[in-house]
Amino acid sequence: MELLFLAILVLLMAAALGSGFPVAFALPGSAIITIVLAAVSGYLFNGSVDAYFHSGGPQQWLTAGVTNLRGVYWEVERDTLIAIPLFIFMGIMLQRSKIAEDLLVTMARLFGPVPGGLGISVVFVGALLAATTGIVGATVVAMGLISLPAMLRNNYSQPLATGTIAASGTLGQIIPPSIVLIILADQLASAADQASTLRKVLHKEATGEISMPSIFDVTSTSAGEMFLGAFVPGILLVLIYMAYILIFAIIRPKSAPAVHYEGDWDARFWGNVVLTLVPPLALIFLVLGSIISGIATVNQAGAIGAAGALIMAGYRLPEDRPSTYFPALLAIAAMVLIAFSLSAYNMNVKAIMVNGGDPTGIYLGIIATVMLLISLLWSGIRVLNIGNTLREVMIETSKTTSLVFIILLGAAMLTAAFRAFGGEDLVREFLNSLPGGFWTQFIIVMAVIFVLGFFLDFIEIAVVVVPIVAPILMSDPQANITAVWLGVMIGLNIQTSFLTPPFGFALFYLRGVAPAIVKTVQIYKGVIAFIILQLVALAIVGYYPPLVNYLPNRVSLLGVTAPPPRNPKMQVCLEEYVRDKVAVDGSTIRAAIATAQGLDLSALPKRLASDLSGAFDSADKALPALDEIFQAEAAVNAAAPEYRPFWQTVRNLQKDMRKLEEQAENLRKTIRFLRNAEDTTRRDALEVRVAKLEAQRDAVEATIPAEWEDQHTTFTTLVNAEDKARNIYRRAADDAVEAPMEFLAVIDANEAFFALEAELTALEQVIATGEPAAAEEAVNNLANQFGSVEGAGDIRSALSKVRRSMRASSLDRVQAAEDYADAVQSFGEQVIWRRAAEGEIRAGVRAYMEALSDTIGSRQQTRLTREQALDIAACSASHRDISLNF
Amino acid sequence: MSTTEDTEFLSPYGAPAPIVRYFGWSMLALIAAFLINNVLIVAYDFPTLKAAFDGSDGKVWVLVAIYVLALLLAGWWINRTPDRALRYEARKISRFNAYLIRACFFAVLFVGLADGVIAFLRVEGLLPQLFSENIARELIRARFIGPIIHMPLVALGFVLALFTRSLGFIWLALMIVVAELLIVISRFVFSYEQGFMGDLVRYWYAALFLFASAYTLLEEGHVRVDVLYAGFNPRRKGRVNAVGSILLGMVTMWAIILIGLGSKQALINSPVANFEITQGGTAGMFIKYQMAAFLAIFAITMLIQFVSYLFEAVADMRDEPGRHEHAAISH
Repeated sequence: MELLFLAILVLLMAAALGSGFPVAFALPGSAIITIVLAAVSGYLFNGSVDAYFHSGGPQQWLTAGVTNLRGVYWEVERDTLIAIPLFIFMGIMLQRSKIAEDLLVTMARLFGPVPGGLGISVVFVGALLAATTGIVGATVVAMGLISLPAMLRNNYSQPLATGTIAASGTLGQIIPPSIVLIILADQLASAADQASTLRKVLHKEATGEISMPSIFDVTSTSAGEMFLGAFVPGILLVLIYMAYILIFAIIRPKSAPAVHYEGDWDARFWGNVVLTLVPPLALIFLVLGSIISGIATVNQAGAIGAAGALIMAGYRLPEDRPSTYFPALLAIAAMVLIAFSLSAYNMNVKAIMVNGGDPTGIYLGIIATVMLLISLLWSGIRVLNIGNTLREVMIETSKTTSLVFIILLGAAMLTAAFRAFGGEDLVREFLNSLPGGFWTQFIIVMAVIFVLGFFLDFIEIAVVVVPIVAPILMSDPQANITAVWLGVMIGLNIQTSFLTPPFGFALFYLRGVAPAIVKTVQIYKGVIAFIILQLVALAIVGYYPPLVNYLPNRVSLLGVTAPPPRNPKMQVCLEEYVRDKVAVDGSTIRAAIATAQGLDLSALPKRLASDLSGAFDSADKALPALDEIFQAEAAVNAAAPEYRPFWQTVRNLQKDMRKLEEQAENLRKTIRFLRNAEDTTRRDALEVRVAKLEAQRDAVEATIPAEWEDQHTTFTTLVNAEDKARNIYRRAADDAVEAPMEFLAVIDANEAFFALEAELTALEQVIATGEPAAAEEAVNNLANQFGSVEGAGDIRSALSKVRRSMRASSLDRVQAAEDYADAVQSFGEQVIWRRAAEGEIRAGVRAYMEALSDTIGSRQQTRLTREQALDIAACSASHRDISLNF
Repeated sequence: MSTTEDTEFLSPYGAPAPIVRYFGWSMLALIAAFLINNVLIVAYDFPTLKAAFDGSDGKVWVLVAIYVLALLLAGWWINRTPDRALRYEARKISRFNAYLIRACFFAVLFVGLADGVIAFLRVEGLLPQLFSENIARELIRARFIGPIIHMPLVALGFVLALFTRSLGFIWLALMIVVAELLIVISRFVFSYEQGFMGDLVRYWYAALFLFASAYTLLEEGHVRVDVLYAGFNPRRKGRVNAVGSILLGMVTMWAIILIGLGSKQALINSPVANFEITQGGTAGMFIKYQMAAFLAIFAITMLIQFVSYLFEAVADMRDEPGRHEHAAISH
């Protein structure tokens, strides 16, 4: 029955959307109507309002819907959405400050003489505007008004000219900072949680183990990562567009001629180029740079962008006067001052207030902040006074923000209703029943999104389709895709929705401003080529995921908050890195180990000496252990092709069996409730069905090939062998450097240790005659000092004993003197071996550590070196198939 | 709802439309009655409406009486003004809604600033130095700050809104930029960042899109799938909007109101009644309960706006003079 209501829900939604009522209310409205309808008919025909729901009841699902809807702003995890109004503010402000117009005119002159130059300049400006304003409609309108007439005047073919403009205008959807990417990141983050749960269930069913190792988990994403991930594909798309126009112009020069600028290429011209190009580039650099370098969060970058846009509008809007650039210059001066004081002084205001210190930096910072605020206020007042621009920007920002978010709210309600009627399970079953695994599912989903793009806007697709399909796609262990990659692929796909006739937004806007001689058909014809280019880009990014994954990996591994080298997720890549390194300078490493083993450690205390020589031996073992990993891995890979078909068949059969078992279990539950006498007939009927299901299940089980057991055991043994090899290596590698690291720390503390001698000697007098309380204090003090010196723990514990004996309540000077003597004795012994170790042994161990730190010792570093981080970023940018572990 | 006083150019008299007007006015009357009853239920321990069916509590009849009275009032109003023009009334309702939203904006502005300052003083431990020991102790309690500090500011907002004409809420767009920029400056220049700063941004940002929604509807800013709609004539568009307002718009808003304010423990009632604060505890601002209330404000203002929208749409259907023309919003 719930399927009927699911159909009603979909039909109602289609009707409500098709009628043209605002989407933001059509979605939740049809969801609520369906839920109420199901509740009422359940009550009328089945006596219970819950009857026609997949699970739960109307009250519960409506509450879930309202809770989801509130979650958009209520949950701290969804804070990245705050970036949306900030970027909208920035975009609209820049649009009003006519930066598009300036850029178009100047760039057309600059690129004009190249074949197809006007077209290329449009793409270039489109990319720049995408990285600043990102507003499709505004960009297309500006280009349609300025570039289209110029292109037509110079005999550009109409389809090429219109297609270029429409396509370049949509770049704002994929080139960061983009609203779509923020929304996709938000939706994918919660989808990744669900995908992770799905995968855990899968793992449990397949292996029977309760917990899944974290390396098999689904990778989630954030808005910052999405921006980074979309960066390279965005540039790729721009290059593809440009290449197409260039090739087109070379093949058919008449349709895209070079245009020569009539004025002089003098200093004035170049000054103009610099003046139009530098501010938007500076803003892009500030906003994207602060995100890419990991300094600022996406929200903070949004605020920086909005403030920058305000300052730009502050000098662009007024008439040229000497004072025009004052606020901008003031802001630049403030930034320079901040940069200077940050590099020259300690600027941590808390630390200075608590610990004291030089407050000059703080004063400079305050001056700079005041300058910055004055500049902002000044620009703000100008923008408010000139044509009431600020007010209009605020109105537009409020309206656009509201339209985006209310759809988000409405979709949250719809998703709840979709789940209430089991829609999610239905989609999952459909996708899983497709032959060909992940890629069929993926292509179908992408095709559906592409087709929906003909009718719907990007927000609707992102908030309605993504939550339903993304968890299913991401949970697949065979493709093991990252959320960023999926997000960028969907983003690239949704971008085409702006271009697809008859309802693409970009076409709509272009039609509005194009001169009448341009036929609508020509516009449609023009975008076809660009839609194909778009699909080409989609195919390239789909085929080569590192284009997306590399940059986020790189930034996260090089960042301040990079995970430590022992993070389990990067071990496989780190081991590959070490293997490659060892392959190159294995002999040096072996030599270093041999030299270390030859060191004379007899001067050291026994325990220390044996720790060290044990470590050297571990290093000796780690190298062959490393080789064994890759032998074991090769064995697994060799066995995989033969095993995979079996695995696939059997896992499918097992899935069928589980489904049958689940149905049987449900029926058994129902039977248990039918205990009354009058239910006998019904109970018997159900029991027959249960028996039938069980028989079916057994029949399926019988079709599992006989060899499966053996195959499975053999393969699992190989996999386990690989795991074991990795663990052996990791333990050996850790052992190889832990003791030497400790040893070096101890010897490096020598100076601090020797420095305590005088105090220790002075203590004898105090213990013998001193006033107990003061003596206890003094002893305790020294004990703590020894405690902070590496390797002096035994002296500290001896002194602690002394302290206990010096307590006023249990004063025992004899015992204290005895323990003190112990302390002095072990101090003396330590002085001897510390001095002995200082020379040759320390140098030897240090050389050993240096030789090993990049390879075997890499796990024990506090953070990855740059070279390692880059290598691992590249290695983990590809999707790793982990399906055979399931 | 815009600043142009278009009601002055519209004739208050027009073709009678008693049914749709009664429907619209009863919606307004019911929401008012519902809110009064909600206060009675949450603050004065009245039973919910369920008690009317099982007769467990006699006080429920007060609630029922309020609803009946509300419906009667709506009927009385229609009876008294039989030939009031739909568009005239639509714009009157819209203007009242604008006042409501403006009042909420001022409330949010004052509370945000005041609570931000208090949170700063609290986090930095400056309260005891500025206030007497008693007040300083009270200022870390949400149950004190809520009624004693926030409520008067909210009331001030409602009074101030009577004497101003601007839209108000649009300034929230600039305010979140400034608030977030202050985080940027204090974090990058002075290495200082506290939870309350993020809370302030979140508070204003939620207010921005929830309060802006009614105006966006009025200005035709909400996205439509205009595959078919763009080709409709104004009468047909009016029909779509009239039916949609009732079936899709009002239904959604009533669902939010009933789920959020349906009982004492409901989604909105419970945090508001408890003056709920963020997880950050005393490090954050004490405004989480107001963010819960935002959802109710959103639903109520949207419901009122949908009544106005319904009147306009029916007027469009009947081809009455004075139709609004709107430009499509750009992406």
